[in-house]
Amino acid sequence: MKQRALWSAVLVAALALAGCGSAADSGSSSGGSAGKLVVWDWKSGDASAASYIEKAKADFAKRHPGVTVEFVAQPFEQYYTLLGAAIQSGKGPDVMLFNGGGQIRDRVDALLPLDQYVDEDKQRLAGWDAFTKDGKVYAAPVTLQGHPIYYNKALYQRAGLNPDRPATSWSEFVANCAAITKATGAKCFAQGNKEGIGIQFFMSGLGSGILSPREYDDWVAGKRDWNSPGVKRIFALWKEVNDKGLNNDGANSTAMFNDAFAVFQSSKAAHVIGLMSDIGHWKDFAEFLEAGNVGVMTSPVVNAGTTPSLPYDGGIGYAVAKWTKDPKVAAELVRSLTSAEALKAFHADAGAIASDTTIDVSSAGPAVATIVSEIKDGKPALHVALSSKTVDLMGRLSQQLLSGSITVDKAVEQLAATDQAG
Amino acid sequence: MRPGTGRRAERLAPYVLVAPAVLIIVVLRLWPLLLGVNFSFTGDGALNGTAVGLDNYRDLLDDPLFRTALRNVGLLVLLLPVAVAIPGLLATFIYLRVPGHRLFRSVYFFPAVLSPVIVGAIFNLLLAYDGPLNAVLGGAGIGPVDWLGNPNVAIFAVVGVHVWATFGMALVVFLAGFATLDAALVDAARVDGASLRQTIWHVIVPGLSRTIQFVFVTTMIGLLTSMFGLLYIMTSGGPEGSTYLPEYYIWIQQGQMNRPALASAASTALFVIMLVVGLLQIGLLRRAGRED
Amino acid sequence: MSRVRLGRWLIAAPMTILAAATIYPLLFTANVAMKTRREYILDRFSLASTLHWENLTTAWNSAGMARYILNSLIVVTCSVVLLLLIGSMAGFALGRVRFRGSSALFLVCLAALFIPFQVIMVPLARIMADGGLIDTYPGLILAYVAQFLPFTVFLMTSYYRAVPAEIIDAARIDGNTLYGVYRRIMLPIGTPALLSVGILNALFCWNDVLISLLMMPSADHRTLMVGVTSLRGQYSDDIPTFAAGVLIAAVPVLVTYLFLQRQIADGVTAGATKG
Repeated sequence: MKQRALWSAVLVAALALAGCGSAADSGSSSGGSAGKLVVWDWKSGDASAASYIEKAKADFAKRHPGVTVEFVAQPFEQYYTLLGAAIQSGKGPDVMLFNGGGQIRDRVDALLPLDQYVDEDKQRLAGWDAFTKDGKVYAAPVTLQGHPIYYNKALYQRAGLNPDRPATSWSEFVANCAAITKATGAKCFAQGNKEGIGIQFFMSGLGSGILSPREYDDWVAGKRDWNSPGVKRIFALWKEVNDKGLNNDGANSTAMFNDAFAVFQSSKAAHVIGLMSDIGHWKDFAEFLEAGNVGVMTSPVVNAGTTPSLPYDGGIGYAVAKWTKDPKVAAELVRSLTSAEALKAFHADAGAIASDTTIDVSSAGPAVATIVSEIKDGKPALHVALSSKTVDLMGRLSQQLLSGSITVDKAVEQLAATDQAG
Repeated sequence: MRPGTGRRAERLAPYVLVAPAVLIIVVLRLWPLLLGVNFSFTGDGALNGTAVGLDNYRDLLDDPLFRTALRNVGLLVLLLPVAVAIPGLLATFIYLRVPGHRLFRSVYFFPAVLSPVIVGAIFNLLLAYDGPLNAVLGGAGIGPVDWLGNPNVAIFAVVGVHVWATFGMALVVFLAGFATLDAALVDAARVDGASLRQTIWHVIVPGLSRTIQFVFVTTMIGLLTSMFGLLYIMTSGGPEGSTYLPEYYIWIQQGQMNRPALASAASTALFVIMLVVGLLQIGLLRRAGRED
Repeated sequence: MSRVRLGRWLIAAPMTILAAATIYPLLFTANVAMKTRREYILDRFSLASTLHWENLTTAWNSAGMARYILNSLIVVTCSVVLLLLIGSMAGFALGRVRFRGSSALFLVCLAALFIPFQVIMVPLARIMADGGLIDTYPGLILAYVAQFLPFTVFLMTSYYRAVPAEIIDAARIDGNTLYGVYRRIMLPIGTPALLSVGILNALFCWNDVLISLLMMPSADHRTLMVGVTSLRGQYSDDIPTFAAGVLIAAVPVLVTYLFLQRQIADGVTAGATKG
C-alpha cells in the first residue's frame, strides 16, 4: 500500500513538472513578446464594443501586419487590483484602459508618456486633461464623460410647463419641480447615493451654477478653498434638496447604478444628473422615454454671477506600460484605438460621446446634439479634480449629511484636511 | 521485507502521509505570507520599495475607516454563535428526520451555488426603502426601515444575508459530522424520555464537538474573508462607512487608492486577528468539550 | 407519541418556510433570466411576459462558455481529486497517528487556514511565474490545491479524530501497515467527510474568480465564472443576461450536489448503524 502514497507524491511532482513543460510553449499573456501586444480593458468583451475593437484592429493591422494583438477583458471590479498586481511584479499588459482622473494619475509611474506619439491627434480629440499629469500625457481619450442634467419632457408637459424652456434659475427650477410633483406625483430628482456617487454627480452637475467662473477655474487648477461660501453652498444645497423631499425616498440606500437611473427611466422623477457615455445617458433614457422626451439642460443659476456650463472630462483612454518591448508599436496601437473610424463605431454601438468631436452624431437624437454643442464651452468636472481619497471621503460625508449626523461646516473641514494632505 | 526495514517504513509512514500537504502549504502559503508581510513594511507611491518600518500600521490605526472595520470584526465574532447554531440545529433536525428532511437537505444548499452578486442584487430589491419587506412591515403598522441606508442597521442586514446564503455549506459539514455520532446513544436518550433539548445538549453537542469546532473556525473565516461580493453589491461599505470590513478596506486600498503596501499591512493585521481569535475558539471549545 | 408528532411538525413548519426562502432566489434568477433588460428595469419582480430563451444563448456566446466550461471542468476535477487525496492522507496522519512533531505540523496547516488571500496574492503570482506555472492548468490547479488544502486537512483531521480508536487498533492487530489502514479503513470510513468537503471544494473552485484571473492571464485559458463575471461589465446594466449566465454556471454544481447529498446522507446512516 506504500505504492499508493508514493504514487500520489509522484503525481504531484509530475503535475508540477508538466506545468513547467507546458508553460514554456504557452505564450504568456503578461508582458507580450516582440511580435505580440497584450491589451487589458473591461470593454472589449461587451457585444456593443465588438465593431469598435474590430475597426481598431483592422486599422492597426494595416500599419503593422506582423504584430498580433490580444485583447483581454477583465471584470471591472477587480480590474485595478489586477493591474496593481501586474505593476508590482513588473509583468503585465502592453496597453491598458484607464478611467480618467485619479485612477490614472495615481499610476503614472508605471506608464509611458505618450506626447511624442500622439501629437497629431491632439487637435482632433478632446479630453486629454483627465489623462495628463505634470504636463505629460499618459493616455489617449476614447470617450468623454460628463454630467448633463437630463429631464423628462413628457412630465413637463403634463404639468403644463414648456418642455423646451427648462428653468434657468434655481428658484424657477424648484417651482417647476413643485408643479410636476403636484400634477404627476413624480419627484424632482432621481438620486442614488448608496455608493457615495450621488454627491459627485450633484457637485459637478450643479457646480457651474454655484461657483463663480473664477472660483471654478481655481478649483480645477488645484487652488481650492473649502471654506468659501460657494463651496459650502454646494453641500448645503445637497442637504436641502433631500430635506425638502426633492429626491426619491431612501437616497442613501439607492444605488446610482442602476436604481436611480431606473427611477428616471420609469418617469418616477423628472430630472437626473446623469452621464454622457456608457450608461445613464441619452441612449439609455431614450430607450424608455422616447428620444424626443429626453431633455438636456445645464445647471440653473443658483448663485448670481455664475455662468453654467457642461461639466465633462476624458472618460476612458488607453495607456502604454513602461515595460513594453517596443513603445512605438504600442503607441501606434493606442492611436488605432482612437482612430476616427473606430471611435465612430464606438459612439454608434456602445452609446458614448466619443473623444473625436468631429464625428457626426445627428442620427442619435436631439439630446446628443445638445450635449455635443455644449462641449465647446464645457469645463472639467469639479469632482474629477479631487484625489481618490478625497472623493471617497466625500462620499461618506455626503451620506452623513443626508442622514443629519454631520453639519456642513464639519464636513468641509474634514474634506479640506484630506484634500491638503493628499 | 525484513522486519527492520518494515519497522522503519512504519515509523516514516506518517511523515510520508503528511509530506505533500505540508510541502504545498509551506511553499505556496507560508513562504508567500512571509514575503507579503515583508512587503507591508515598505512604502507606497513615491516610497515604493523603501523600508518604512511600522508606518503603514500606524496609518491603519489612524484611519477611522480601519477602526470601523475592526469594530465590525468584533461584532461578527459576537454574532458567530448564531451563525453556527442555525445550520447546526437544522442539521440536527434533518438527522432526526423531521417530516420533509429529504427535501430540506436538498434545497438548503441552493443559495450557496448562486453568485453573491445575484444574491446581493435580489436582497437589494427585497430590502429597498420602497421594497416588499417594508411593504409587509408597513401593513403590520411598523414604519419603514432603511435596511441598507441606516448605518446602525445595514451591517446586520448584510451579515444576515451572508448567513442565509452560506448556511447550506455548514449544513453539509454537520451532516458529515453526524456520521461519527453513535446513533445508539441518541436512541437510548429518547427511550429514556429525554426531551429534544436535553438530547441535543447532552448527546449531540458533545458527540459533535470536533465538527462544531471546525464549523466555528471556518464560519468565522467565511464571515471575515468572503463577504466582499455582498458588500460590494449591497452597501459598497456604506452607509457612512458603517459596513466596512477589513476585506473591503483591503480591496479599496489595493485597487482604488493604489496603496498596495498599506493593503498588505491591513491583510497582515487581518491574518493576526483571525489566527488569535481562531486559536482562542479552538482552545475554548476544546475545554468546553472536555468538561462534558 | 402524539405529543412527539406534534413537536416534529412544529419544527417542520418553520423549516418549510426556510426551504421556500432558499428556493426563491433560484426562481427569481430564472425569472429574471427570461426577461428583457427593459422589462427588468421597469419592474424587477413581475413575471416574464414572454420567455426570452435567447438570453441563455447570448450569455453562452458572449461569456465564451463553450470554451470555458471545459477549462473549468478539467481544473475543478483535478483540484478536488488532489485535495481529497492529499487532505485525507494528512488528516489521517495528523488526526489518528501519534508521531513526533504531529501537533506542530497540524498547527502549520491550521495557521495557513487564516491567511487572507490578498496578503499572498502578489508573492504567490511571482512564485508561480518563477516556476513557469503562470497561464498553465497545472499552475491553476496547484493554486487551488494550495488555497483550499488547509480547510480540507482541518476538516479531515477533525473527522478522523472522532473515529473510535478501536477500529484502527483492530485493523493494526490484523496486520495492516499504516498505509493499509489508510486505504482499507480510513478512506471508506471517511466517505461522508470526503464527499462533503469534496462538494464544498468543488463549489469554491468553480465559483472562484480572483485566483483564476491572477493565474490565467490569457483570455482562452480562463474559467467559467470569470466569463460569467465579465458579463456584468462596469455598470452591471444587463442583469437578465448576467442572470442567465449565473444560472447556466449553477447547473453543474446543483446537479452534483443533489446527487452527492444522498451519498452523504447514506454515509450518515451507514456510520450510524455501524456505531
